[in-house]
Amino acid sequence: MSRHTAPTTPGDEGRPAPDTMVKVRDLKTYYEGGGLLDDRPVKAVDGVSFDIRRGETLGLVGESGCGKTTLGRTLIRLEEATDGEVLFDGTDITSLRGDQLYEWRRNAQMVFQDPDSSLNDRMTIGEIVREPLDVHDWKTPADRRERVKSLLDEVGLSPEHYYRYPHQFSGGQRQRIGIARTLALNPEFIVLDEPVSALDVSVQAEIINLLEDLQEEFDLTYLFIAHDLSVVRHICDRVAVMYLGNIMEIGPTEELFTDPANPYTHALLSAIPKPDPTASRDRITLHGTPPNPRYPPTGCPFSTRCPVRIRPDEHENLDDEVWEGINGLREIIRERMRADRSIRERVRERFGLETRFATIDETYDELFGDLAVPDEVDRVLSEITDAAGDHEEREALDRLNAEFGSVCDGVDPDGGDEPVEPEYYEVSDSGRLSYCHRHDERYRETATVIDDRS
Amino acid sequence: MSTTQSDSTDGLEEPDDDKLFRDRVRENPRPAMAWLAGLAFLLLLEIGRVFAGVGQAFGIVGFTVELLASVPTSVGDNVAGTLGSAAGFVATAVTAVLMAFAVTVPVAGSVPDGAVDVLGLDLSRRGRRWAKRAELTFVLVAAAGLVAYTPVGGAFSALIGAITGGVDALAASLPSITSRDLIPNTGHRLPEGGWEGTFLGLSPATAWAIRTGLVFAYATTALVWLWRGFDVYRTHYRLADWTPRDDTVRRFRNNYWGLFGFAIVFLFVVMALWAPAVSPVEAQHNIYEPNSHEFQYLSEDGEVTSTTHVFANLQSRSDGQNTIGPMSYDDYDRWAPLGTTNRGQDMMTHLSYGARTSLVIGLTAIGLGALIAVVLSLLSSYYKGVTDIVTVMASDTIQAVPALLLIMLVSVVFQEANHPIAQPLDGGLLLALIFAFAYWPGMWRSIRGPSLQVSEQEWVDAAKSYGQTPLQTMRKHMAPYIAGYILIYGSLLIGAVIISTAALTFLGLGINPPTPEWGRLIDGGQSYVATDSWHVATIPGIAIVLVVIAFNALGDAIRDAIDPEADVDESEAAATGGGA
Repeated sequence: MSRHTAPTTPGDEGRPAPDTMVKVRDLKTYYEGGGLLDDRPVKAVDGVSFDIRRGETLGLVGESGCGKTTLGRTLIRLEEATDGEVLFDGTDITSLRGDQLYEWRRNAQMVFQDPDSSLNDRMTIGEIVREPLDVHDWKTPADRRERVKSLLDEVGLSPEHYYRYPHQFSGGQRQRIGIARTLALNPEFIVLDEPVSALDVSVQAEIINLLEDLQEEFDLTYLFIAHDLSVVRHICDRVAVMYLGNIMEIGPTEELFTDPANPYTHALLSAIPKPDPTASRDRITLHGTPPNPRYPPTGCPFSTRCPVRIRPDEHENLDDEVWEGINGLREIIRERMRADRSIRERVRERFGLETRFATIDETYDELFGDLAVPDEVDRVLSEITDAAGDHEEREALDRLNAEFGSVCDGVDPDGGDEPVEPEYYEVSDSGRLSYCHRHDERYRETATVIDDRS
Repeated sequence: MSTTQSDSTDGLEEPDDDKLFRDRVRENPRPAMAWLAGLAFLLLLEIGRVFAGVGQAFGIVGFTVELLASVPTSVGDNVAGTLGSAAGFVATAVTAVLMAFAVTVPVAGSVPDGAVDVLGLDLSRRGRRWAKRAELTFVLVAAAGLVAYTPVGGAFSALIGAITGGVDALAASLPSITSRDLIPNTGHRLPEGGWEGTFLGLSPATAWAIRTGLVFAYATTALVWLWRGFDVYRTHYRLADWTPRDDTVRRFRNNYWGLFGFAIVFLFVVMALWAPAVSPVEAQHNIYEPNSHEFQYLSEDGEVTSTTHVFANLQSRSDGQNTIGPMSYDDYDRWAPLGTTNRGQDMMTHLSYGARTSLVIGLTAIGLGALIAVVLSLLSSYYKGVTDIVTVMASDTIQAVPALLLIMLVSVVFQEANHPIAQPLDGGLLLALIFAFAYWPGMWRSIRGPSLQVSEQEWVDAAKSYGQTPLQTMRKHMAPYIAGYILIYGSLLIGAVIISTAALTFLGLGINPPTPEWGRLIDGGQSYVATDSWHVATIPGIAIVLVVIAFNALGDAIRDAIDPEADVDESEAAATGGGA
């Protein structure tokens, strides 16, 4: 993450500078373990940089748990950033305190995901929508009441609803109320945190249209967090794809959807069901689950599941299934390294009793049992499993990386000791950026590799 | 109970809609006027008692203020004892300022901005908040200093004395329809038959029955009138056509077990509030100072003679050999609707004043404990982290000591030391405070889950996102959700407090004589259960059982009423909301 070969602001050379509203630079949000002792933090957002231009809708997509909601919440200061900065019209809002923060909060608001949970059921609609105005002492109480009524009208409810309770409304209407509350203070920037994912499909379109109309009317800038890709394609000007706290690819929506550059984007888009039964492109199935964000992999965050992982030349032709096994073995060794063995377990092991760790040999059998593994590979693998069996996980991992590791696992191809991470490569004229080693001239492009390996 | 609850939540939620409400009343004043007239009429009927109540409230406030006012000096004295008088003075001042500051925090929000603008400082929002608190603290401390250290204090206490004296005088002189003066039931037989000194010359039993019946009729009317007030508000002045509270009320009305609990609790409370009216003899005469009050009766030799209560009580004991049972007169023409106690005092008087004691202890203990529990649960669930851990440790420490043992230990220590807080109610207040201290961890534990849950709701985040202050967020967005739970646990625990008080008194540890207490009655009567004097222990025993069951039933009913998911028939609410 430390190096940027491509400029992160795609307007730095030549092109007319777009009006940037929010500038995020190397933002990190870590959750502390909660224990009293020094725990490893959960790296929910692990160093992201991007810009949001005035008046645009930037989509933020990714699997659940990839940190997109945390990123959105950090942008409006519901979470404290651990590091990095968020420049909002040039002011770093991560360091705002007290009154400055209070004043700034007018400018940035959020629409929440769950309309059932975002409205206080004990208050009337009027009180809910009016509360931001009360907090900011906006004009007189009578003016506030008027404003709330016009806001209700604006979002497609009627002013008579002022004295109703949230109970009495459907999910879509509740979301409209939430939107009215968000608009109360006339913000410039709104984080939409999956605003339609909890709604019926029939209602989703209405809310999306409402959001689009409002954007036009009030010159709003949106950060649209979603996992529904078709909605994103419909509403967003640009899209950022997030995985495990990192932005994998960011660029104009259509371009990104039609010609994805990053392997993760490929995989994500291939998950969209196609109405055409004869469509040629195979689905890319990702194996396993995303890694624990407390222990992200070294190197590229996507390396553990990447379908086009760079392989060392000497093993390039190894069977895909064997590679899967090797990746699985790596994960298991990493897992074993983290697991603290209790004294009881050490004693049991000493006396040859069963422990909750399956022996590494069983694991090996499970992974490679019915595969034809070439002899020399098998020999290396046995060495590795032996080391792991003796609880020398570090050594086993080093050996594994030396033999099968590549730049994706953080192994420096130039022989350096520091783990390397991918860089952002500019992959099109529009300034689209992708976070992958495949864009380096030394390696083949993603699309060709996918075709090769499938 | 349900009406008071909804009233209080009303106040919570609509602080600045007052003007609107006033406008609405002005537009359509008839229903409100009619209701208010009815209320005024009801109050007027009992005006003497209303003033007596006000006087008593003054007394309680005065006692609390005095107790709090003595804290800084007592802290100062303790410090002065070890570090010298200068340090003692500083400690007094610091304690006073801190206490004054603590008082201002919840109040400062309602002070208008103008109060700070006078200072002419350019303050930020936060600065303004603190300036308000500082200003209020200064005013409070200055006022307290004036009262404590200057001649103004003398004038001030004279003023207070005049006001309380005035209220007391009014209470004594104004009539009320349930008063003893209007319907007297103490008198004596005449040698030629008939009664002297009773209401219309009726027998004391009839006079007492009339007065007691009047009390309950009055109380029921008042309750119905309050309910009507809610109804009037709902039909004429409320802007919302439906609120969640309507459902709560409807569910409560259909819960017969809960209504039974409510009825018994109502009886108990009425008996406690109107104790002077429902007791056949005056407690002051019969229980507190039997030596100094004489009364007349028709002696066996046919002459009207005079005697003191202490002597008459001695002859009227229900102790196995001698029994004055329920619904009978003793030898001194005194009507004893529930018989007499083992010490010859009137059981009904004892029971009604005992109800007062129990109610005061129960409400004080639960009120205080619930307050601590709610405040701590709000703080610990909003801030989490260290605040939470400290609260957990504090509550666990208290819970680690067996409650009854803790209560006994502390009460003995304070009573032996003759501490001022052991004086009121002969140890009753002390007991209430100890109960509050021993029971808040339990209540806090039971509302901890709900408050953590509500603190995770997105509306709390939303409030944070537009800059709502933590205090307001807790009050508006979290407290209403915990209120239901604390109401339930509070009403369940009130039964426990009543029974524990009785148990301690039974053991001779709780409340000392002469303050009437049910536990002492049971203690006194326990050896006569198998004799003619069975009623001495049985009647208060049944009363305790009933009251505790009733509070539990009420608590259960409140829980069911508050919980929307307890509703099987949702169609009604759905239909109302359908048009929206």
